[in-house]
Amino acid sequence: MHGMPEGGVGQTAAAAMRPLLALESLGKRFGNLQALKDVALEFRAGEVHCLLGENGAGKSTLCNLIFGVYRPDEGVMRFAGKEWAPSGPAEALDSGIAMVHQHFSLVPRMTVVENLMLGQSRGILKRRQFAAMIRATAERFGFTLDPEAVVGELSVGERQRTEIVKCLMREPRLLVLDEPTAVLPPGEIGALLDICRRVADSGRAVILVTHKLAEIAKVADRVSVLRGGQVVAKAEMASADMGALVRAMVGREVKSLDVALAEAAGRTETRAGGDEKAPHALVCDGLGVRDRHGATRLDNFTLEIRAGEIVGLAGVEGNGQSELGMVLAGLLRPSAGRFFIGDTDLTAAGAAAVTAAGGGIVPEDRHAVACVTGMSVAENMYLNKLGQFTRFGLLRRKALNEAARGLMRNFDVRAAGPEAAFSGLSGGNQQKAVLARELTLSPLKALVAAQPTRGLDINAVEAVYRQIRAAANRGAGVLLISSELDELIAVADRIVVLYRGRLVGERPARASERGAIGALMSGQAA
Amino acid sequence: MEETLAIFIASTLRLAMPLILAASGELVSERAGVLNLSLEGMMLTAAFFGALGSWATGNPVLGICCAVIAALAVATVQALLSVHLRANQLVVGIGFNILALGATTLLYRIIFGGLSREEIPGLPKLDIPGLSDLPFIGTAFLQQSVFVYVGLAFVGLIWLMLRYTAFGLAVRAVGDEPRSADKAGIPVLRVRYLAILITGFMAGLAGSFLSIADINTFTENMTNGAGYLALAGVIFGGWNIGRTIGACLLFGAATALQFQLPAMGINVPTAFLLMLPYLLALLAVAGVVGRLEPPTALTLPFQRGK
Amino acid sequence: MSALVLALPDRRRIARLAIPLGVVITSLLVSLLLIAISGRSVPEAIEAFLDGAFGTAFAFGASVNRAVALSMVGLGFILAFRANLTNVGGEGQIAVGGIAATAVALHGHVADLPLGLAVLLPILAGTLAGAAWGGIAGLLKVRFGTNEVISTLLLGFIALLMVYWSVQSTALLRQPQTSSATLPESLPIPPLTRLPGLTPDPESPLHVGLIICLLAAVATAVVLQRSTFGLRLRAIGLNELAARRAGMPGGLLLMAALAIAGGFGGLAGAIMLQGEQYYLKTGFSSGYGFDGLVVGLLSRGSAIGVLAGALFFGFLRSGGISMEIMAGVPAALTLVIQGLIVIAVAGSVILIEKLDKEPR
Repeated sequence: MHGMPEGGVGQTAAAAMRPLLALESLGKRFGNLQALKDVALEFRAGEVHCLLGENGAGKSTLCNLIFGVYRPDEGVMRFAGKEWAPSGPAEALDSGIAMVHQHFSLVPRMTVVENLMLGQSRGILKRRQFAAMIRATAERFGFTLDPEAVVGELSVGERQRTEIVKCLMREPRLLVLDEPTAVLPPGEIGALLDICRRVADSGRAVILVTHKLAEIAKVADRVSVLRGGQVVAKAEMASADMGALVRAMVGREVKSLDVALAEAAGRTETRAGGDEKAPHALVCDGLGVRDRHGATRLDNFTLEIRAGEIVGLAGVEGNGQSELGMVLAGLLRPSAGRFFIGDTDLTAAGAAAVTAAGGGIVPEDRHAVACVTGMSVAENMYLNKLGQFTRFGLLRRKALNEAARGLMRNFDVRAAGPEAAFSGLSGGNQQKAVLARELTLSPLKALVAAQPTRGLDINAVEAVYRQIRAAANRGAGVLLISSELDELIAVADRIVVLYRGRLVGERPARASERGAIGALMSGQAA
Repeated sequence: MEETLAIFIASTLRLAMPLILAASGELVSERAGVLNLSLEGMMLTAAFFGALGSWATGNPVLGICCAVIAALAVATVQALLSVHLRANQLVVGIGFNILALGATTLLYRIIFGGLSREEIPGLPKLDIPGLSDLPFIGTAFLQQSVFVYVGLAFVGLIWLMLRYTAFGLAVRAVGDEPRSADKAGIPVLRVRYLAILITGFMAGLAGSFLSIADINTFTENMTNGAGYLALAGVIFGGWNIGRTIGACLLFGAATALQFQLPAMGINVPTAFLLMLPYLLALLAVAGVVGRLEPPTALTLPFQRGK
Repeated sequence: MSALVLALPDRRRIARLAIPLGVVITSLLVSLLLIAISGRSVPEAIEAFLDGAFGTAFAFGASVNRAVALSMVGLGFILAFRANLTNVGGEGQIAVGGIAATAVALHGHVADLPLGLAVLLPILAGTLAGAAWGGIAGLLKVRFGTNEVISTLLLGFIALLMVYWSVQSTALLRQPQTSSATLPESLPIPPLTRLPGLTPDPESPLHVGLIICLLAAVATAVVLQRSTFGLRLRAIGLNELAARRAGMPGGLLLMAALAIAGGFGGLAGAIMLQGEQYYLKTGFSSGYGFDGLVVGLLSRGSAIGVLAGALFFGFLRSGGISMEIMAGVPAALTLVIQGLIVIAVAGSVILIEKLDKEPR
């Protein structure tokens, strides 16, 4: 940090007397779901306030209430001393509340300055003036942004900075950032936090929403924890016990993860002997991927997984996992290297060949890659095996539905029936259906599961772990790709770490290795 | 030789003019995410009502006004259906083309009946003393119908609008990422509506150019695919106004060549010259002439929260 | 209570039928009004219309033949549409089908072949030519990502000009020029290559194209509703990436869908040529491609819907022509009706969508 930030301590001290935004016993309900209940919070100018909570804890709902997307069912909000009941986001923006959403709302084909002029500049465009304002704003908060760059060619971090500048140019008094670190590669998180600090130091209030406290701990002044729609803990960061906050956030789920850990420990002990002699299930030999712009996304990735072994691939998202997943799924041809399932070279063979060779794939993006939500449960569960139910080109629907019914029973997929619309299933049931499809390949030699428990409730998570372990016990080699370190420690035998497209180390899957693996994930050690 | 070239340039410009007018209008719609197959129908409607207005009032300028109003009426309904009612843009377009062909033919028979091939009061040609008589420049560029120069001025306005105004920026945003535009406070539906009306206005000029400035009469189905050719011009031009005008000039030149080449004793099948514009456009969208990407949201209706 | 719940889907179904029907009836009323305004006798016009559409064996046959061509294009359209592909190129696919069928019938030495080959080979040639024409759009889509709406439209115009070229040049299909008055048309195809009539009545133009069309409709319905191929088309149309992950040959399926749609168009062209027109001329496809597209879209993916829509449009066209000849009402009126129907049905889609969203 250089130079004295704007604003001033005096202003901060004065504002600390009275909160900029106060929420009083706020409640919001969607149908049967009580999304928020009795939430009382205060946000002060000059402070970075971290809102901590797991997926579904009510963080986004809270932000949307403040930003005027929804209206509360109970309670009141006060902004700058006056009652705050915004009619919509437009009023929030006009009143000095700005929000950086998790999904950016930028037009990729336009330049940074054009994106910022959109809806702001009227009549004849004041391109030069806006460009100067962008540069000035960026400089004021300690970063750079090229106004003439085309947004589609920027990195995620730069796009996020574009969004932040878009907010800051409105001179807001309160800046809300919804899960800003989730999309960032680790190297860019620090820069984001610096910006947040400077924004707060300039006399504004900053709300940082996250479920990863550790990442932002160093910048937060204050932290509040949401769970199940209620505030379960509040603390000043300086005096906070991080462990206690995380326990408050995950609640009962810590226990279930402990159980999983215990089971994992027991399993590794009993199976430790046979590994060396087992045949190779999945072999990656120097795989490399370059993206459209020629940048290396995956570099010389070499890994051997033996039958019956579960290897965890750790790494912060965006370090090449998606590309690896696409290559192993047969959807992306690598620019270098080869990979095998069993003895079959599948490097350029395509998805059907991967399936035929016994490669089960659980893709990270369920809706985009794993299933066709517009079709039925049965059709999705046998999407890759429709040929089995085809006679003279015609689909034997009765046999298909019958088979699907059996599979639904075995894998506990809860739906009205095999002909039910797949889109009507909960995320957990959809994932179980995908697992059912991929695990019932015969023979199943290898399983590649990417972020398999994302967005699932705890029961579904346990079911997914159980199935993955069962597959390994039946002799499949499993590659589990996850950004949740606890998940990998709970389920895998050993953990390899991916950082900026390269494997940077390997560790046993033990809770005691957490620090070492974390260091590898953040690129601190190699 | 020089004289032949000058005549060739002049006829290229004249033949390309309706395409340039229609294509630059259509470009605005397409940049906003709406594909108007009805361009052909708008032009035909305008050609008819332009002729009718000019014939009835004896004043070609009033005729052009009639043409523009008629084309705007078609554009309004097209916008209502494809923007507000989220109807399939292609189907609505085809429907309008059928309707326009039927309605103009029907009205022509009813109103003009036996008086077919009625001469219609047209616009004068440009005549700047001294300049229009210049040997090469004059023949090639300065003896066109006044309409040509007025039309080019409107095309210039569209170029300025797309490049330098907030509305132009909104048009581009709405055609690429309507959701982001909506979040930025842009009234997506209204912008698209206006964009279609601009298309209608320009198609009105293009249609009346055919019947008032060029041929001075109306004939059944006189556009004969000019609207589709203008669409091809937008595609070939890669949704960029300069290149779209270039494409239309090329198409005009190809048409002009079919009159010029035989006169020069060169025998190229007319059909090939007529086909050339479409072939070039096809090669262009296939990526042979550089990669072209249509606006991301082209033909996709917008609905908030969906 | 339960009765009400059960009744809801029926209401939806009724509304689905009622909306297009209402649109059709309104458009017909509007056109009657137009006739009255133009000073012609309405009853006379109606009589002429009905006469021309169904009145005689000839009229009925001609209407059905029109419907056959429209159905073929419509069936191809709904097949490709299942894979989320919009084939706008029916007009051009008819045209190349017609060219190929004419070329084979005139110059393929097929007239003397046994076993019906004299008729079948030109049909096959037309179908394959149409399939190739559709397949080009498929190839462009798969290879370069070219939007098929744009490519099929452009290919359509190219094909229309190919017809023009073929009949302008004696080196291609133009009949030998004996005088300056020789029309730019092909020679008539040999009688043995023409489609046999369906009835012994020599007055009736009905030909076996109707049988081909009905078979095609049944095949389309089976493919769409019962076949694995149909399901795969649907999967690829809904989510291409997931379909490819599930091992489906994405590119091949997309190309196949457009090639089949094109093949249906080419078949329509061959049937139009060998069944009725007998010689190739400019404007040979006369809008059937676009009308067929409309029929396909209005059918909302149902083969029976295609047949019904095609029959309606077929009768409309025939009746319109008769109205012009017998009652002095320009045939363009039928274009007005057709256009109004297309626009109104397209505009009412949102109503049907709203009904679909009502709680069940």
